[in-house]
Amino acid sequence: MAKPKVAFYWCASCGGCEEAVVDLNEDILKVVEAVDIVFWPVALDFKKKDVEAMGDGEIAVSFINGAIRTEEQEEMVKLLRKKSGLIVAFGSCSHLGGIPGLANFWNRDAIFERVYKEIPSNANPENVFPKTKAKVGEKELTLPEFWDTVHTLDQVIDVDYYLPGCAPPPDLIMQGITAILEGKLPEKGTVLAPDKSLCDTCPRGENKPEKLSIKEIKRPYEIIPDPEKCFLEEGIICLGPVTRSGCGERCINANMPCRGCFGPTKEVIDQGAKGLSAIASILGVEDEEKMTEKDMQKLTDQIVDPAGLFYMYSLASSLLKRKRMA
Amino acid sequence: MNEPTIVSFLCNWCSYEGADKAGGARLNYPANIRIIRVMCSGRVDPELVIQALKEGASGVLILGCHPGDCHYKKGNYKALRRTHLLKKTLKQLGVEEERVRLDWVAAGEGERFAEVANEMAETIKNLGPLELS
Amino acid sequence: MAERIGVYVCKCGPNIGDRVDVDAIVNKVKGIEDVAVAKSHNLLCSGEGLKFLKEEIKNEKLSRVVIAACTPKQYEVKFMRACEEGGLNPYLMQMTNIREQCAWVTPDKSAATEKAKSFITAAINRVSLQESIEKKEIDIQPDVLVVGGGVAGLEACLSLAQKGRKVYLVEKSPCIGGLTARFEEVYPTMECAPCMIAPELQEILQKENIETFTYSEIEEVVGSLGNFTVKVKKKARYVSEEACIGCDACFEPCPVEVPDEYDEGLSTRKAIYLPFAGGLPNVPVIDKDNCKRFKGEKCSICQENCSFDAINYDDEDKTIEKNVGAIILATGSTLFDPTELPQYGYGKYDNVLTAMQLERLHASNGPTGGKIQLKNGKEPKSIAFVYCVGRKEKGYCSGICCMYSLTLARLMREKLPGVKIHTFYTDMCLPKKEHQKMYKEAMEKGIEFIRSGENVTVTDKGEKIIVGTNGKKISVDMVVLAPAVEPNPDTAKIAEILDIPRDDQGFFAEEHTLMKPFSTALEGVFLVGSCQGPKDIGDAVAQGGAAAGRILSRLIPGEKLELEAKVSEINEDLCSGCNICIVLCPYSAISRDAEKKISVVDETLCRGCGTCVSACPSGAARAKHFTKEQIFAEIKGVVR
Repeated sequence: MAKPKVAFYWCASCGGCEEAVVDLNEDILKVVEAVDIVFWPVALDFKKKDVEAMGDGEIAVSFINGAIRTEEQEEMVKLLRKKSGLIVAFGSCSHLGGIPGLANFWNRDAIFERVYKEIPSNANPENVFPKTKAKVGEKELTLPEFWDTVHTLDQVIDVDYYLPGCAPPPDLIMQGITAILEGKLPEKGTVLAPDKSLCDTCPRGENKPEKLSIKEIKRPYEIIPDPEKCFLEEGIICLGPVTRSGCGERCINANMPCRGCFGPTKEVIDQGAKGLSAIASILGVEDEEKMTEKDMQKLTDQIVDPAGLFYMYSLASSLLKRKRMA
Repeated sequence: MNEPTIVSFLCNWCSYEGADKAGGARLNYPANIRIIRVMCSGRVDPELVIQALKEGASGVLILGCHPGDCHYKKGNYKALRRTHLLKKTLKQLGVEEERVRLDWVAAGEGERFAEVANEMAETIKNLGPLELS
Repeated sequence: MAERIGVYVCKCGPNIGDRVDVDAIVNKVKGIEDVAVAKSHNLLCSGEGLKFLKEEIKNEKLSRVVIAACTPKQYEVKFMRACEEGGLNPYLMQMTNIREQCAWVTPDKSAATEKAKSFITAAINRVSLQESIEKKEIDIQPDVLVVGGGVAGLEACLSLAQKGRKVYLVEKSPCIGGLTARFEEVYPTMECAPCMIAPELQEILQKENIETFTYSEIEEVVGSLGNFTVKVKKKARYVSEEACIGCDACFEPCPVEVPDEYDEGLSTRKAIYLPFAGGLPNVPVIDKDNCKRFKGEKCSICQENCSFDAINYDDEDKTIEKNVGAIILATGSTLFDPTELPQYGYGKYDNVLTAMQLERLHASNGPTGGKIQLKNGKEPKSIAFVYCVGRKEKGYCSGICCMYSLTLARLMREKLPGVKIHTFYTDMCLPKKEHQKMYKEAMEKGIEFIRSGENVTVTDKGEKIIVGTNGKKISVDMVVLAPAVEPNPDTAKIAEILDIPRDDQGFFAEEHTLMKPFSTALEGVFLVGSCQGPKDIGDAVAQGGAAAGRILSRLIPGEKLELEAKVSEINEDLCSGCNICIVLCPYSAISRDAEKKISVVDETLCRGCGTCVSACPSGAARAKHFTKEQIFAEIKGVVR
């Protein structure tokens, strides 16, 4: 029997998700034995026309990482959708928008101004900016359109499953691939990671105070966090409570707080809104009756960049999706 | 009638009754003040506020009991902190802070309710409808 | 199966009918999905209207009902009952306000109609997602906890203890009786105070329905009227209440002597002691802070001298949990420390005393057996009584000091014939029926009254004390100060345990000065006696009876307490045990299940405010009848 066909593609990404596949180490041999990789730009020489030549649904599953913000990315993912039975959004960028999603605080013009003109290390005296069409000699060259807004994969095509994480950990990837190959998949649209948020598996949960409150906010550089204590207890904002578990607490174990890359749990629509609600609720709660409105404002003002912090990975997937430009 | 609407969360024990008092006194305020009853201002989740804006509201008004008088003791303190942080976040996302207002109206304060409602309507009128892409 | 929603728009006579185009709305909403029937009615709240609703539910086989009318705060309960009688769970009904919040505030009819339509659409959206909720009841706890064994607490205990109801009396000190037990004679009857209350004390300790915990304090309280759980710490007495027969043989041999707080420091007591002779229960305690043995030295002299094997050094503090339906705070008061006002010379000069100290000198069971004497042992030939010590600083009149000072002056006159008495006062506070008489008698007995105001300074000159005011200087042997009454130092701690407010002066705050002078903001917690404000014995006893009376009528054994229906619930499968909700609950209704590592809501304590639901970062917490989906559906309706 022919091995199922599998494709990997990358959009607006850093390459970390391709490395995550490589991180499977010996397990990758099992994967290669079980499937036929028919398209993987970073590693194999297959071309777009090879994909175009396939029949609809011929590819069993396509793993697509990276966010969508150019015309080319849109075209490719739509092509892969047509040719694939299942689409898996692989990694935070395709799932939530990820770090590239933070570009939604700006639009194309602002980005181009900054990148091609303002940056001090630039040498661009003639203010050359990318264009979709340019005449070079007799020929006309084209570039894909660069959108104002970064999109998640499911905002552009129909997505079957999500493998969350920046990047998804190897064991989660293996579990996902195994489930697909064995046909033991949950209902469509499921995020292939546990249902509960990070506090469920966090090693610091043992000694966490039952009455958890924050007296004042500390940024991670301001103190050396106690490796046994819950970050929130010490005033460091950790998004663990509002983030799905399954990552193995890689950041926590490196004594850094969670930044939310796995996205919210299933009952939460907007990770940033819930994150800020949870933190604001316990900030200063012990003394709230004695505080004036000014005192409270001083406390919340200790969080200098709430949008960037609470929406770090999920801006493009949030309710507002992007900053409203004037 | 395409007046931009203002979703107004009123708490059952204080501000909702204040709004009723305003009605009893036949005080007027614009019809785009659309009231939703909740038990406490502490129930108003930032997620709900953003959803209201996304659904088409141009402003959100949250009215609770005066600090110290919350029927459930301390719900309004949480509302205060959450709203401060939410407004700051919304500002970063290009939504003017004035579009979300948290204020206090006691059960007997009909006049105050009408005053706040009229003020909010005026503010939103000056800001114009919230157009989200 | 599709829902069958019935929408009923009340015209409320002309109130809504004239200002909103009800018929147009009814026609419009008929077309909304799942709306089986939409009708208007002239007056839904009338007997006929309610009957109509019940019939509609039955005839149209409705699964949901929307009522657009006046404010739900007026008749929602009525309509909910009508639905229930019509066979529909009352929580499957949504009432929307198109009168106070629409018709009456919007002059333009078309704008009002638009607004009413949006409200009704919102209600239809919402009601589709509502769920039935069944009424939950628990048995009312008829038992009562009384904190404080002074006269007010004693009165409450005796009034409440009856068949079917237990009273738990928690007293901080080793003996019950409170302040009253320390006075020799009390005004205006001039009777012996300990004798006056002795029958009550005996009854308390012997009555079957009263369980007394002396040398105990409350540590934790959760709950509300009808359903409180209290943790009481019974401090280790080190003497067995069962074995001790009260022979006092253990006192004499004890090598430790410390100032006796019961005698206001005028005498000493041992480390093993009973606060006062005749104190009940007649079982001493070991003061472990001062006992040699507990400070690490070898000593078991009291045990060696006890013939009844009653002394147990291995005794430990115990925590006892009780379930009660009401709590009465009768924790009393204390006197302001005049050391804080150096102009009165207290603590500086030997013979400047507080009135309480004079009471103890006068008491037959006091440090001098009732002999009034100066520090040098001689009898005073002249005494100055200084009133209002601390009144200006405190900002209130303590109301009892003029009377007890007059009483003491009279008693001094009787005990020390010929003694000269000078009284430095500001105003004479003589409110009740008998008090004016006492003042008149004092004047007739030649007691000098000098209206000094608070402008008094006390200095010395050799062995004499000089009391000066407004240019006048009087030389006396002894000065007796009447300090302000202030709340017991424990008041702050207890207020925090119960989460009840205190007033500006630190006393427990009564719910309403005039109409609810013995309840607090927390339903089921009552205040009696001077912990609520300075008062005399008569008023304290009256207040004790009042609170008891209220409890007797509210907490009837066998009755049920209906719980809040719109509570918060936490989904076990989604809760990650982040603990964020626990600290937020003002009713301590959420606790951690250590085994499952999740948060759990106690439905008997939850009041349904929804604060935890807004904060829950996993979306695991859900507010019944105010779920995020229901509110979101309402939002969708009102923004159109």
